[in-house]
Amino acid sequence: MIEEPYRWVEAIANRREYIETQLAAGSPIVALGYGGGILFLTVGRARQKLFEIYDRIAMGAIGHPGDIERLRMIAIELASTEGFTRSAADVSLRRLAHYSLSPVLKSAFEQVYGAPFLARLLFAEVGSQPEEDSFLRVDYDGAIATNGAAVSQTRQHFAVLSATKPSAELMESFLKKEHSASATFPDTIKAAIDAWSVGHMALGEDGAKELPNSAAISKHRQEQLAASGIEAAVLERNSGTAIRYRALSDEEVRSSIGG
Amino acid sequence: MDRLPAAFDQSFSGASEDFPALLRRKGLFQRAPDLNASDGGRSFVPTESTTILAFKFSGGVLVAGDRRATAGTTVVYDRADKVLEIDRHSIMAIAGVPATAWEMARVLEHSFQYFRRTQLQEMSVDGKVRALSKLLRDNFGFVMQGVGVVVPIFATYDSSAKPAARLYFYDAMGAQFEVTDYAATGSGSPAVRGILYYENNWGDKPLQKLNEDEAITVALRALDTAAEGDTSTGGVDRGGKIFPLIKTVSREGITTLPEEKIAQVFKRSVA
Repeated sequence: MIEEPYRWVEAIANRREYIETQLAAGSPIVALGYGGGILFLTVGRARQKLFEIYDRIAMGAIGHPGDIERLRMIAIELASTEGFTRSAADVSLRRLAHYSLSPVLKSAFEQVYGAPFLARLLFAEVGSQPEEDSFLRVDYDGAIATNGAAVSQTRQHFAVLSATKPSAELMESFLKKEHSASATFPDTIKAAIDAWSVGHMALGEDGAKELPNSAAISKHRQEQLAASGIEAAVLERNSGTAIRYRALSDEEVRSSIGG
Repeated sequence: MDRLPAAFDQSFSGASEDFPALLRRKGLFQRAPDLNASDGGRSFVPTESTTILAFKFSGGVLVAGDRRATAGTTVVYDRADKVLEIDRHSIMAIAGVPATAWEMARVLEHSFQYFRRTQLQEMSVDGKVRALSKLLRDNFGFVMQGVGVVVPIFATYDSSAKPAARLYFYDAMGAQFEVTDYAATGSGSPAVRGILYYENNWGDKPLQKLNEDEAITVALRALDTAAEGDTSTGGVDRGGKIFPLIKTVSREGITTLPEEKIAQVFKRSVA
């Protein structure tokens, strides 16, 4: 049936709807650039969602654990072999996403007889200055969104990943107001947790449609943090070693914002 | 295990595959040719023209190496780094053919990172020690061909284990030997082993009780002695002000001792 072009388009549309439903429960992930590096943060109860990919690259993901694992392995393999045969400086997030991950995801998505990847990925690569940080989101269909590859665009020092589009948009509009690259580390953590709360409140059919006020955000945050753990990691800008990734424990995050 | 079954090749490659196997799958790393029967009678002359040493002291493990690189009887380089950092708590010091040794260090460094990133846990000390052993074993075909012998020392610090400071030396086939106090390899090592044995048993204090300055003194004296009788060991180049490379590994990680500090100790207690 899908030999007919119309059927193919229909099959793709169905598949998109199916994947969106599968992803709908994922807890949002936030990546924020600040003076000391890049902070990744999410709140959850279940499995690990933030991963080290290479010296300066980290990944956050929502979706099916099996698919995330396959994509994570592809990314680590590519980065490691590139870093080994050339040098760590030649490993770049831009190349990793554009030349390797995106085509793999796109062809899996469009080959309607095979299984697509049920995953949405958020990457960040720390540079020597905040202006050189790069953020990049790769979707299940291979679409890529970056923080400012186009010359005309103003650079954003953050990126978000969420299960639904409205949730991601609300998080972005919140961060545009509440976060800048010059923020301190504790302020960055606060902004990240609040942005996560905004995104989380917007999930689901009856989720928030507009940016909630700060009292509502703080109420939601407190409720959620009482029940769930904070998962966070940083890519340090100047750590003195080649490896910049450092996972932060739940206590470490909570104590840095005063509980 | 070189290749996983084809069905698993794409999806589970990271689960049980180590980094050298990944490199081989991608054709980026050469395994040494297998030995065949006709090689059996060939005698193998170890050429490890250098001196490296390591011993445990009060602050962890000290690893030192001279800087000379030779080709036959010619000195080709006087600032070679033979003491290499593999990760935050592991040092590999090399005697042997530099091309092979540096490649091995690179593979090893990436192996540890690759394991941590894919498996989401740090490789154990035993795992790390074994990884180097495997690289040496895989390289043995080159050794028998007379190219590529490497005889390393491996020092690491694992604060969760007892003893925390661990020190190993290897033979060219990959056997690992854990030592309690000190290790030395390379052409100048007989003299160094003599000195370290003497210091440890009849010196002012056992090696493990030495503070950093005393440890540097012993290392410099040992390398200077080795250089006295071994043309392939650079020792201390007094004229060129080239000092051995000394690194220590402790709970806090690896420290490369600054040249000024080594020069100072040298001037005070060796020269």
